[in-house]
Amino acid sequence: MLFWILVAILTAAVAVALILPLLRRTETVAAGGSHDVAVYRDQLEELKRDEAAGLIGSGEAEIARAEVARRLIAATRNADTGTIDPAGRRNRLAQAVVILLLPALGLCLYLATGRPDLPSQPLAQRLADPGNDVSILIAKAENHLARNPGDGAGWEVLAPIYVRNGRLEDAVNAYAQAARLLGASPERLDGRAEALIMLADGIVTDEARKLFEQSVSLAPDNPRARYYLALALEQEGDRDAARAAYEALAKGSPADAPWLSLVNRHIAGLSGETADTAAGNPTAADIAAAQDMSTEDRGQMIAGMVESLAAKLADDPADLEGWQRLIRSYVVLDQRPQAQAALRTALKRFPAESQNGRTLLALARDLSIPVEDVGQ
Amino acid sequence: MTRKQKRLVVIGGGVAFLLAAVLLVMFAFSQSIAYFYVPGDLQTENVAPGTRIRLGGLVEAGSVRRGEGSTITFTVTDTLATVPVTYTGILPDLFREGQGVVAEGALGGDGLFVADTVLAKHDETYMPKDVADRLEAQGVQLSGKETIK
Amino acid sequence: MIIELGHYALVLALATTIIQCLLPLAGTLRNDRALMAVAPAAALAGFLLVLFSFCVLTFAYVVSDFSVVNVWENSHSLKPMIYKISGVWGNHEGSMMLWLLILAIFSALVAVFGSNLPERLRANVLAVQGLISTAFGLFILLTSNPFLRLSPAPAEGRDLNPVLQDIGLAIHPPLLYLGYVGFSLCFSFAIAALIDGRIDAAWARWVRPWALAAWSFLTAGIAMGSYWAYYELGWGGWWFWDPVENASFIPWLAGTALLHSAIVMEKREALKIWTVLLAILTFSMSLLGTFLVRSGVLTSVHAFATDPTRGIFILGILVFFIGGALSLFAFRATTLKAGGLFQPISREGALVLNNLILTTAAATVLTGTLYPLMLEAVTGEKISVGPPFFNLTFGLLMIPLLLAVPFGPLLAWKRGDLLAAGQRLFAAAGIGLTVAAIALYIERGGPIMAYFGIATGVYLIVGALTDLWLRAGIGKVAPSVAWRRFKGLPGSAFGTALAHLGVGVMLVGIVAVTAFETEHVVEMKPGMQVEAGGFVLTYDGMRSGQGPNYSEDSAHFTVARGGVAVTEIWSSKRMYTARRMPTTEAGIRTFGLSQLYVSLGDEMTGGGIVVRVWWKPMILCIWFGALIMMAGGTVSLCDRRLRVGAPQKARRMKPAVEAAE
Repeated sequence: MLFWILVAILTAAVAVALILPLLRRTETVAAGGSHDVAVYRDQLEELKRDEAAGLIGSGEAEIARAEVARRLIAATRNADTGTIDPAGRRNRLAQAVVILLLPALGLCLYLATGRPDLPSQPLAQRLADPGNDVSILIAKAENHLARNPGDGAGWEVLAPIYVRNGRLEDAVNAYAQAARLLGASPERLDGRAEALIMLADGIVTDEARKLFEQSVSLAPDNPRARYYLALALEQEGDRDAARAAYEALAKGSPADAPWLSLVNRHIAGLSGETADTAAGNPTAADIAAAQDMSTEDRGQMIAGMVESLAAKLADDPADLEGWQRLIRSYVVLDQRPQAQAALRTALKRFPAESQNGRTLLALARDLSIPVEDVGQ
Repeated sequence: MTRKQKRLVVIGGGVAFLLAAVLLVMFAFSQSIAYFYVPGDLQTENVAPGTRIRLGGLVEAGSVRRGEGSTITFTVTDTLATVPVTYTGILPDLFREGQGVVAEGALGGDGLFVADTVLAKHDETYMPKDVADRLEAQGVQLSGKETIK
Repeated sequence: MIIELGHYALVLALATTIIQCLLPLAGTLRNDRALMAVAPAAALAGFLLVLFSFCVLTFAYVVSDFSVVNVWENSHSLKPMIYKISGVWGNHEGSMMLWLLILAIFSALVAVFGSNLPERLRANVLAVQGLISTAFGLFILLTSNPFLRLSPAPAEGRDLNPVLQDIGLAIHPPLLYLGYVGFSLCFSFAIAALIDGRIDAAWARWVRPWALAAWSFLTAGIAMGSYWAYYELGWGGWWFWDPVENASFIPWLAGTALLHSAIVMEKREALKIWTVLLAILTFSMSLLGTFLVRSGVLTSVHAFATDPTRGIFILGILVFFIGGALSLFAFRATTLKAGGLFQPISREGALVLNNLILTTAAATVLTGTLYPLMLEAVTGEKISVGPPFFNLTFGLLMIPLLLAVPFGPLLAWKRGDLLAAGQRLFAAAGIGLTVAAIALYIERGGPIMAYFGIATGVYLIVGALTDLWLRAGIGKVAPSVAWRRFKGLPGSAFGTALAHLGVGVMLVGIVAVTAFETEHVVEMKPGMQVEAGGFVLTYDGMRSGQGPNYSEDSAHFTVARGGVAVTEIWSSKRMYTARRMPTTEAGIRTFGLSQLYVSLGDEMTGGGIVVRVWWKPMILCIWFGALIMMAGGTVSLCDRRLRVGAPQKARRMKPAVEAAE
């Protein structure tokens, strides 16, 4: 409401400023000429100065003076004749134009693109009261770290959050910073290596392998690192060595270890006669399972909720907020293909050009879901 | 000389000057224009070795080799054909494998393109327009090019 | 809410500029004073509204309000404050806002200081300004609205293009736009004169301050941009004949011609029609420059807006204003009375030569810039016109102009004595050749043309001083008299001398750096040395660091002369985190007017790094020259005679004139 009052005041103030000159009593306009007279007078002055200073000869000065004087006389004659009769009209039409044009054009154009419902959202204010906006919480932590880049514990806390939000490159950096400041530990090394693997679409890169090797040298019984090292061997095509590594890992694990089934599946795949494609690159689920090697699985419950949400949206696709929650949840669960699929479905309902579509795309960019192909 | 003649002389001088300038521009054009090609063009069109051209395309992944000192060789591709390029000097900051590039120079007799200037794309969303147009015309999917803005 | 209020103020400003255009024009048609009086009120109101709107946008940047799309796309919360502010105009939408703001500032200046103008002229000028503002206001609101919102707001922005995060680029666009847009006033004055079908003798006096101010800003803006490209892009070049640079250089050339022809018009009432045409053309070139840069039609190293709808809109503006102005010109020019006659050898003649060469040069640069676009549009063939074209054509055209420059001020109006002027310049030419000979003795080698270039530069400098020397009569009259005369010289005389002197200084810099710079590209490992410009640089090693929104690797060099360490140089490569974009931060050390320039290339396997070292002799002369030229413009602007015709004086004088009759 205050906004509309201010809009009204602003419009009225401008209208008054424009109408005031129209209300003044009109007088006669003196035509030009007087200005020319001033210029020629000044030219004569200048000639006099130049002559006195010896800059031009007296002969030249005389000729010039005659020329200027001729123009001066002509201009003076002009100045006398040029009067125009007064236009004492009331300019009703002009006043109407001002009064109508300002609010009409102003409101039409403004309402076409303006968002009077949206408050300003300065970052500092959002940081002070983040609510449950995860990206703002992250931003807050980032701000803190930008001021205190030496806070290793901060990097350590932030790193897994980055992974969950799909900001893998930042996660790699955060793990590296934590390791640099607090010293290398299996968790920090493994976390960084895992983020690198996700960045490489499941390939255990050279860099990741070296990190795992370092991790194993720190803690030889680290099952996560040993699993990935075995996987690296498998991806390189060294099936025998990979199988041996998996078997050693299985042998060294307690009988009820949650990762045993995954390891055994790999062993089975490698033992099989044909090269089993399923044992090649790990699926997203494999990576999720591998993460369980160090953390409890809390995702089961969330996954159930997400499924019911997805079912609800299939029935009622007009729920924009529901779509946003669903996309976010998929990213948190690290099910990025599903997140992308959900985005694509949502964009069918809310075209990319619409306000809601843009909202969805902004969310996608925030969560670094690729938007190249979904938007077309 | 009468006033009229004088005026003619002045106007004639001006026109002569302009004529000279036009000739100068045409001469300079004939000397210093470089045509733009992508590697595929070089196979179909006959470009004489030594002619100054601009070669655009993508830097083929894995093709960048550092030689003696600051000499670098790499391959420019439009996915239809490739052209080897050699360049001595400092590459632009944004020169990367798999990204758009424009090299200016001339073809040697042996098919090696000797570049004296190498321009890379200038920011994340900008690809040299020539390159983008031509590659798109040939149906090449551009990597890293944002389609939503 | 404040954001939306800023948005609404911008819309309201558009409505105000429409009124600023319509009512005063109706007023001059109907000779209605009240309607004409709306013009200054509307100009001031429009200015305040645009100013408010611009401040709101700046505020959104300062507080990192990422619910504004424009802020989200171009800012980052960790960016230093100065770049948050300069980021406002570091992007397409914001830079158009700056354009509009400066347009509004100039309109408001005319409204406030234009009380000396005849009422009809002022009303018409402001109406034309209003029309231009309307066109650009529509452009912003319909195609490039910076106030569009995003909900929910992202948590972090995408950062400003790192090459633009630089103090040079914080100042460069405002200066350039002050120049570009300043010429809009000359345009408006020309159109106003054509609408009325008459030009007062005082017209040139009213136009000249605006032209001078715009020209000074444009000079500074171009120089700033050139210096920015020099130290930021890491290529060590100071002028690339890049279309974007040409886009600002063409209006500068036309504006320089305009300045000179306006002198002839003011003093002699000659070249009236030509001056009006030139005023139209100069602003047309500014518009063309805006079109080239803003529409993204160019393949250029620093065009950063690409969107065809915008291009077509600006093209529409361009066609409307240039086409409309030229049609009006063709229709009305004959009604303007031609002025005084003059001999070919005279001050007027020299200024005509100046105009002829400058406009030809502008046309040449324009041809070279537009030809590739035309050819592509017509035949689809893609070509590039590079620096060799411009160096050849522009360089050759400048030679006669530079030689003629010192003659101009020495020739008398109407009928001059070329021989006498030549004799007076003997000393200048002699000193020039002597300096060149000394340079040849020291350098022992280099292209012979370079020495002629240096000689010409010195000749220009001494020639400019000769004019002041002669005017003060030094050596002819007693020193005290000469001093008094010197002090009494009008500001424009100093302005002329300074501007011409600046050209000489710049020429010396250009020639010296082109002919005598040395460049070494070497692969260095710690401990290795390279020699440049008499200095020995030792590479000591690399250091990693962290900036507010980037990480960097810096190489340290020790600079020694004759075995003694003189100074050190840090040269670095930065990686900006938000856009993952690398930039080169060249290490530069100044020795007198010369500079040592070190930029880093790629790291090699085995700890080496490619290093590019330049020795740039006298390079600072290029930008000092531009600054001196700009100072000349400013001094000339302070000339009290430009203020004659002010209303108080005119009114005080009017009774005197009447009494004299």
